[in-house]
Amino acid sequence: MIRTEELLLNVGPQHPSTHGVFRIIVKLDGEVITEATPVMGYLHRGTEKLAENLNYTQIIPYTDRMDYVSAMTTNYVLCHAVETMMGLEVPERAEYMRLIVMELQRVASHLVWWGTYLLDIGAMSPFLFAFRDREIIINLFNELCGARLTYNYMRVGGVKWDAPPGWIEKVRDFIPYMEGKLDEYHRLVSGNEIFLARIKGIGKYDAQTAIDYGLSGANLRSTGVDWDLRKAKPYSLYSRFEFDVPLGKNGDCYDRYLIRLEEIRQSLRILKQAVEQFPSSGDVMGKVPRVIRPPAGELYVGIESPRGEIGCHIVSKGKAEPYRLKFRRPSFVNLQILPKLLVGETMTNLITILGGIDIVVGEVDC
Amino acid sequence: MKGLFKGLGVTLKSLTDKKVTTSYPDVPITMPDRYRGIQHFEPDKCIVCNQCARICPTECITLVGKANPDPEKKGKVIDTYDINFEICILCDLCTEVCPTEAIVMTGNFELASYSRDELFKDLKWLDENNRNVRQDNNNIGAPNAAKGGAK
Amino acid sequence: MSDEKEKELNRQEQAEAQPGEQEAEPKGEAPAAEPAAEAQPAEAAPSEPAAAAPAAEPTAKVSAAAPSEPAAAVDPEREAKLKAAAEARAARAAAKAAAESAENAEAAAVDPEREAKLKAAAEARAARAAAKAAAEGGDGGSGEAAAVDPEKEAKVKAAAEARAARAAAKAAAEGDAAPAEPKQPSPKQPQLDEAVALIRAQVGDDAIEEAYINELNGHLPTLVLKAERLLACAELLKTQESQDYSYLRNLSGVDYETHLETVYHLVSLKSGSDLALKVKADRENPQIPSVVSVWHTANWNEREVYDLLGIHFPGHPDLRRIMMPDDWVGYPLRKDYEPLDPEV
Repeated sequence: MIRTEELLLNVGPQHPSTHGVFRIIVKLDGEVITEATPVMGYLHRGTEKLAENLNYTQIIPYTDRMDYVSAMTTNYVLCHAVETMMGLEVPERAEYMRLIVMELQRVASHLVWWGTYLLDIGAMSPFLFAFRDREIIINLFNELCGARLTYNYMRVGGVKWDAPPGWIEKVRDFIPYMEGKLDEYHRLVSGNEIFLARIKGIGKYDAQTAIDYGLSGANLRSTGVDWDLRKAKPYSLYSRFEFDVPLGKNGDCYDRYLIRLEEIRQSLRILKQAVEQFPSSGDVMGKVPRVIRPPAGELYVGIESPRGEIGCHIVSKGKAEPYRLKFRRPSFVNLQILPKLLVGETMTNLITILGGIDIVVGEVDC
Repeated sequence: MKGLFKGLGVTLKSLTDKKVTTSYPDVPITMPDRYRGIQHFEPDKCIVCNQCARICPTECITLVGKANPDPEKKGKVIDTYDINFEICILCDLCTEVCPTEAIVMTGNFELASYSRDELFKDLKWLDENNRNVRQDNNNIGAPNAAKGGAK
Repeated sequence: MSDEKEKELNRQEQAEAQPGEQEAEPKGEAPAAEPAAEAQPAEAAPSEPAAAAPAAEPTAKVSAAAPSEPAAAVDPEREAKLKAAAEARAARAAAKAAAESAENAEAAAVDPEREAKLKAAAEARAARAAAKAAAEGGDGGSGEAAAVDPEKEAKVKAAAEARAARAAAKAAAEGDAAPAEPKQPSPKQPQLDEAVALIRAQVGDDAIEEAYINELNGHLPTLVLKAERLLACAELLKTQESQDYSYLRNLSGVDYETHLETVYHLVSLKSGSDLALKVKADRENPQIPSVVSVWHTANWNEREVYDLLGIHFPGHPDLRRIMMPDDWVGYPLRKDYEPLDPEV
């Protein structure tokens, strides 16, 4: 008989498919994984510790860099938390700007996910298509707030910049363009037999496991659990808009894939309504005291980022700096199911499953 | 096989699409007006209030003021002003709080150099960095700032 | 920014903005501007000789300020105004020094009913805790809690009293009798009471140290549990039909200087109701039972709390460092953490 040994393989930290500096130590028996241990912390920058010395406006650029693919939602969770603590009212135009920007960010983030996921699986052209369309969104953000990735756009009490003239029209023109492109992407990939063979039935888990592991976002909804924070615990102006929450049945990677693409379509639907309802005038910054000092107490809010529930837990002692600021990062929590899912899978499916969870390592490490 | 051919059809159709690539660096990229590039500093406008150094999240601005050499006027003038571009994150908070718009962003972003020493920019360099200066600053610190966003 | 640097900058600002009021400004303004009330007595002394330095700047107005003192006789009402302003500031600084959370004074001027609400909330909380202590006097539940944390109770009470005294003084000064209306019961109070009753019935009377409503957080019912009872309470809250808190949203650790604490935020997916649990641990040997057997999502969260704050979770399947390298010494998020290499 052939003598076999268990092989210890290091996937990462430098690896094109781990979506950042992230390491998985894999015990292999042939090509089948017997045990997988994720190791993280390569991108730990100590945001939570730094935040104890900075006032809230200064923390906002740091939140940009935590989930850099979806910086607007991370900006928003901090501003929303402080505003809820202080009881500040945000003017309507500012809320509309925030919502439009967050939904555009959701589309952009899902495009990044789609492009890189298919690149990991082996298809190269969807990556270019996705980034070409994301470039339009990024340029819109560039015109709005002056940066392509780390926007520093939201402030406690509103947003920093108003829409420049012509910007809303550009968003309005982008919506049908993106809808057309989405149909094209479905034609390109979703029917492809090779792709379906690689994705269907991979990485399955059921609803009870998902709830137990605290998954959120598309990972939870792929099992059929109807929990989207925009509908369950509405924040901002989401209660004014009509949109569906796509749900899956099987809890495998294919369902997550379809859900995320469908979420792009629903985001475009929200954008269409928001652009129509956009108030023609108004302030973009509310009445905010010069120094932002939330009252003493603590607070936790969670919102729906493209990856799942991002939450901000602030303990304040009434000073201009938080006493303790903790971010509940969706990628960190969603990643916990990885060791469980990988047992018994092959190495190729490791990449598929890891990509299907949609992590951003800046968020995993905070 | 049908799915494969449908996908191939999409790929072939994209051969006829318009190119979206640019020939940077042969063709320079002009950023929109609000772009947050490297700062430009005008020493004459600075009143040494230190707001920029205080608000900077990474503490990359160091400045020293001196008493106004003109005995008639009161106030301070700026003596040295350094930005450490190793840690500047171009977040734009310094321009937001400057009451006189002495420090503004420009549309330049090319700062890469072969040595770290060149990343410490002083007053003279920041003063000379005056191409593509940003017009629309939405300066919340200035008394005449249009309330509620840039117009 | 270090405190001294900020004070220096504050003083320079004042020197720029109001050079005419040089004498009264640095003494009164600097403590009012500095948010750390504790640093006041220490900083007042060095601010005095340092105030002489900006005052010595050769600007015409400042040198005019010195002769303005004898010239104050020429301008009596300005002198009187300056003195009144300095006195008011000193009174405010004294009131601030008396209470812990002093910043509410300035915010309260902005929003008096909000200040009254906060004060009422704190008083109600203290009253509820006191009532519970009185009710369960024989149980030793809150009695133990009170014994465990006497200074905290005293501090909370002192702060509440100071706030009440300040609010009363303000109401008297303003002349309008702020109606001391009975605080509206929170809409989530029945939910809290139900949870408390359930836990007390099934787990034990001594499980809950404190139960209150966190108004800031949308009236979130919050329970402070004892560490030994955490696992039993967690299982109860997850499996009981009426509670059904099967989703643990967030697990964070907080370092209050007197003790460490973990906070659990739960939500019920079916009904959408929230609940928060808190468990305290002391600093020397922090041990909190692990809830991984109840909610698997706590696994890495507890590892992160262990890594950054040093709380041990007995019962955790694999408690080791997650963010920091495995051989790191020390717990970075603690308030008294000294990095070995400050420049890095």
